[in-house]
Order: sequence, then structure tokens, then C-alpha cells
Amino acid sequence: MNIQFKKGVLEICVLSVLAHKDCYGYELVGEISKRIDISEGTIYPLLRRLKDEGYVTTYLQESVEGPPRKYYRLTESGRTEEHDQKEEWMRFASSVNALLEGTTDAAD
Amino acid sequence: MLQTEQEYIRILRSRLEGTLPHDELDDILSDYTEHFRIGKANGRSEEELFCSLGSPEDVAREIRATHFVKKAEDTRSCRNIFHAVLATLGLGLFNLVFVLIPFILLVVLLFVVFILGIVFTVLGPVAFIYSVLQIAGIPAFAIWLSPAAGVFFSIGITSFGLLLVLGDYYLAKFFYRIGIRYLKWNIGVISGTECVT
Repeated sequence: MNIQFKKGVLEICVLSVLAHKDCYGYELVGEISKRIDISEGTIYPLLRRLKDEGYVTTYLQESVEGPPRKYYRLTESGRTEEHDQKEEWMRFASSVNALLEGTTDAAD
Repeated sequence: MLQTEQEYIRILRSRLEGTLPHDELDDILSDYTEHFRIGKANGRSEEELFCSLGSPEDVAREIRATHFVKKAEDTRSCRNIFHAVLATLGLGLFNLVFVLIPFILLVVLLFVVFILGIVFTVLGPVAFIYSVLQIAGIPAFAIWLSPAAGVFFSIGITSFGLLLVLGDYYLAKFFYRIGIRYLKWNIGVISGTECVT
């Protein structure tokens, strides 16, 4: 699929995963790349931007094996943003789907 | 090229050193070191991890672009916005059309309006002196219907010129703000190549 296309929706994907649970970077990358094929390295710069915008905070937590890991957590404004973007996406996606289905019907 | 953790970190560091403050650079590198560490603990090879991370050059370009756009947002200056535009160009050829050309057009527009404003502002006093000379009876080309009209006209034209310069200033501020928002959006959407496994 088109890279530009995927990158555009990456932000809502990251926000959405974090809305369910706090994640460390590797875990978050795994959750996303499980479903979307993307250059995983670009998720970290995105996380930094989300942190700058105040949508996400980080904290360190000890892990069973090895040194502490950096966890990402959604802030209040991050939750609001996630909610808004999700709604916007849902509306957009259903409109596109309706259009696509419409055109195939006409072609048939 | 070797696709090792060391190489990945080395490329990132060399591309970002001198641009970012040290603590920020260390923080970024530690994210990737952690990624490799956990990945390896999960039994993946460095090469595999390198490849799914994608090109470190692209990551560095994106971080640079973000850094310069943020800098231009925090401190407004021609220099900073110029750096931000340059850094965004690195994200893909795409941006020659979607960033560079609009940027040049805007700069030209703002410049032309500024020059026009200055010309009108300067033209006013010139017309004023001209009219005064006419009133004083010193022969000059009769360009006005009456010298008195010339005086009013000169005041008008200077006011118009000053208004243009002032308007240009607010226009520049407006485009600066919109431009920053656009560049931020652009960084989130435009990306370089993808690693093919």
C-alpha cells in the first residue's frame, strides 16, 4: 500500500493503541506492525512529536529481565485527541466505503 | 552495508550530531538501543531488527525536520523558517512541489508587496514637493489638475504605501503561522523509502 497513505494514519493508530494500555516502545511498534506494514523506526519520532504536543507522557518502569523500559501513557488531552481523531476517521472511512461500494454497484 | 545495531546507532548519531542538543540526541538513541535490546531478547537478529526499523537516514531526516520546524515555531525568524523549509525538503522529492514552490511563491509575493509599499510611500513626498513647487509658481510639468489636488494626492499615496507595508507585515505573520502548521502536518504524512525485506 501507498507509504504516504499509511504514514498519515499512523498517529491515530498509535493514539488508539495507547488508549487501551500503556506500552513500551518495542511493544507499541509490535502492536502496529502486526497489522500495518510500516518502517518501524518512524514510530519513535512520531512518539516524540506526540510528547511535544502534550498528548503522551513517558515514565520508566523496571522489567523482569534487563534494565527499566520507557513506557508511554496517554494524557487527558491525548485521550480527547484520540477520541476526536477516531470519530473523524470513522466518519471518513464510512463515507469512502459507501462511495467505493456505490461505484462497484454501478459498474456491475 | 552492515545491518547491525552499532551501524544503525552510528548513522543516526552522525546525522543528528551538531543539530540536536546532546541530551535530546542521547534520549533518541536510547529509544533505539532499547528497541534493539528487547528485540534481541525476543530472539530476533540485529539484521532483522535493522530492516524492519527501516533506513536510519530517513528517521534522522524526519527528526531533523521536526527539530527545525519546532525551532521556527518557538523563535520566529527568516533564518529559522528557511532552515525548517530546507529540512522538510529532505523528506522526499515530493516536497519540492509541495513545500519549496509554495514557499518561493510566498516569499516573492511578500517581497513584491513590500517593494510596492515602499515605492508608494516614497512617491508621496516626491509628489508633495512637486505640487509645492507648482504652487510657488516654479514651472514644472503639469501632471495634476491643480497643485492643491496634488498635495492631497501625495498624502493619499503615502498613506496607501504605509498601509501596504503594514499589511505585508501582518500577511507575513499570518503565512508564517499557517506555514508552520502545514510543515508539521507535512512531516506526519510525507515519508521516504521503505525497507524491502
